[in-house]
Amino acid sequence: MLDHDNAAFIQTGVSISLAACNVDRLPCMSRGLGCKLIDGGRQIAIFIKRSQSAELLENICNTGRVANVFNLPSSNRTLQLKGDDAQILPFDPADLPVIESHIPHFLDEVIPFGMQENMVRALFACTVDDLVTVVYTPNAAFTQTPGPKAGDPLGTAS
Amino acid sequence: MSLRLETIRECLEGIIPGHIATCDREGMPNLAYLSQVEFIDNEHVALSYQFFNRTRQNVLADSPVRLLLTSHLTGAQYRLTLHYLRTEAAGPLFERMRAKLAGIASHTGMAGIFQLLGADIYRVLSIEQVPGETVPPPPPPVNCLNALRRTVDRLATCNTLECLLEKAVDCLEKEFGIAHLMLLMHDEARGRLYTLASRGYPESGIGSEIPVGAGVIGICARERTPIRIGFTNSEYAYGRTVRDGIAADGQADALETAIPLPGLPDAASQMAVPISVAGRLLGVLYVESVSDLHFGYDEEDALVTFAAQLGLAIVHHQPADDLPDEPAGTEEAAPAVAGTPLTIRHFAATDSVFIDDDYLIKGVAGAILWVLLSDFAERRRTSFTNKGLRVDSRIRLPGVSDNLEARLVLLQRRLEERDAGIRLTKTGRGRFSLAIDHPLQLLES
Repeated sequence: MLDHDNAAFIQTGVSISLAACNVDRLPCMSRGLGCKLIDGGRQIAIFIKRSQSAELLENICNTGRVANVFNLPSSNRTLQLKGDDAQILPFDPADLPVIESHIPHFLDEVIPFGMQENMVRALFACTVDDLVTVVYTPNAAFTQTPGPKAGDPLGTAS
Repeated sequence: MSLRLETIRECLEGIIPGHIATCDREGMPNLAYLSQVEFIDNEHVALSYQFFNRTRQNVLADSPVRLLLTSHLTGAQYRLTLHYLRTEAAGPLFERMRAKLAGIASHTGMAGIFQLLGADIYRVLSIEQVPGETVPPPPPPVNCLNALRRTVDRLATCNTLECLLEKAVDCLEKEFGIAHLMLLMHDEARGRLYTLASRGYPESGIGSEIPVGAGVIGICARERTPIRIGFTNSEYAYGRTVRDGIAADGQADALETAIPLPGLPDAASQMAVPISVAGRLLGVLYVESVSDLHFGYDEEDALVTFAAQLGLAIVHHQPADDLPDEPAGTEEAAPAVAGTPLTIRHFAATDSVFIDDDYLIKGVAGAILWVLLSDFAERRRTSFTNKGLRVDSRIRLPGVSDNLEARLVLLQRRLEERDAGIRLTKTGRGRFSLAIDHPLQLLES
């Protein structure tokens, strides 16, 4: 689903957001603190805070359907992935370096836009026991970079 | 609703883009980034509609809508649940958003790509703060409410329009800490705004004009709504480029172009606020800064309130002309003066007046000056009344909404700036005198 370029892209200093809907179509979303490729990109793991995501996690439990957006502030490049087999897994502390290395990359992206570092670090402040991992297999991908190609699918699931 | 939207408006400025989530009819979620959220009131926001994308398809298919907004000041995050109501593709809200979006597009490298197609209006059903660490917000540079209170107190001490206008710009500078500003009055008959006072520019630009509808100031006047832009952008340049474009289009007709419009060539933040009373536009306040996002919602609120107060005060000072004139003192004919004569040339077609071949003023103010100088030359007359000017068939005032008092202030200031030895001085309610230091030679063209 993901080519090398997009696989590398989602691991740069991107802003990450993850959403799922309840059975009444009401969506909910949370900020992702980082992401990891599994099995060479066949699956994606997103790290979120449980304390911020009770409704989102319940929706994922009930539907398994997720939408996941990655946006790089400096270029506006934006990618949306979707999946319908999302699972919630305990956070593996061995993944903490993924989040820790994502923060400085994200800071490099947003500080030129006037963001204060302490505010950005507050956004990413977390404790290991509050973290949770959502894993899904992307089955559709769309470019959402603003412009004439926004919304075009990159490909469909095999 | 436990949280009031008005208390988290910094999240709507687009500094940290919001996230919008929707759902299609099959239950698949969709996420997108938002360029802009516009505060309407505590129950309503407007989102910019720029592309017909999946989000919009879902919204039109009755999807519930969720936003995730983040304060760039504190890092606090909020989830808003919205219900779509309608789309507006013209009018004050649309123009407010289009101008703001132009600034955001320029700031994010999206100039020419972000184009507002509509303002999607939503009802806000709920707001919840997302748990998480936050930082204290930095103190604001100005306490806008307190600055407003002091300003209103100072305006209340004025008993003439001239004093009022002077205090108004003085308060914007000193109480609000605004370094670059203009006060423009509306010439209804000609569809123009003329600069009556300014602060913070090398040249005052008093008498310079801009058409209603052109640039930030003109759009504010046309739509009667505040226009606020946070970042440098070329689309809403209000100054010479706008006027040059009008001249190139052959629309300049009677537009005043001899007096340069003041303004910062590199303004980043711009805000124009209409001064209206009872549905009638009296003028526009314009403020600007070289800093990004210098004016926020609080500054906009304060200046809108200030403009409302100023408008009422302006109207209060205008009808003084209809009251009985104060008794005139003994009028003495002006003594003859010697020296090199001033050549005053009047072009009747535009009522333009030149002093020794230097342009001074045109339009109604030009017509007034010509009448004053003609009477002086014929009868050595130096004392005049507003009421007399209103009924003088030579001036052709455009009707009851003539802003005569404002035009006299404009004329008085242009004469002061020109410093050619012609002065107007207010001598009482609805009464003023003319002083001339040189012999005059009047030429009609």
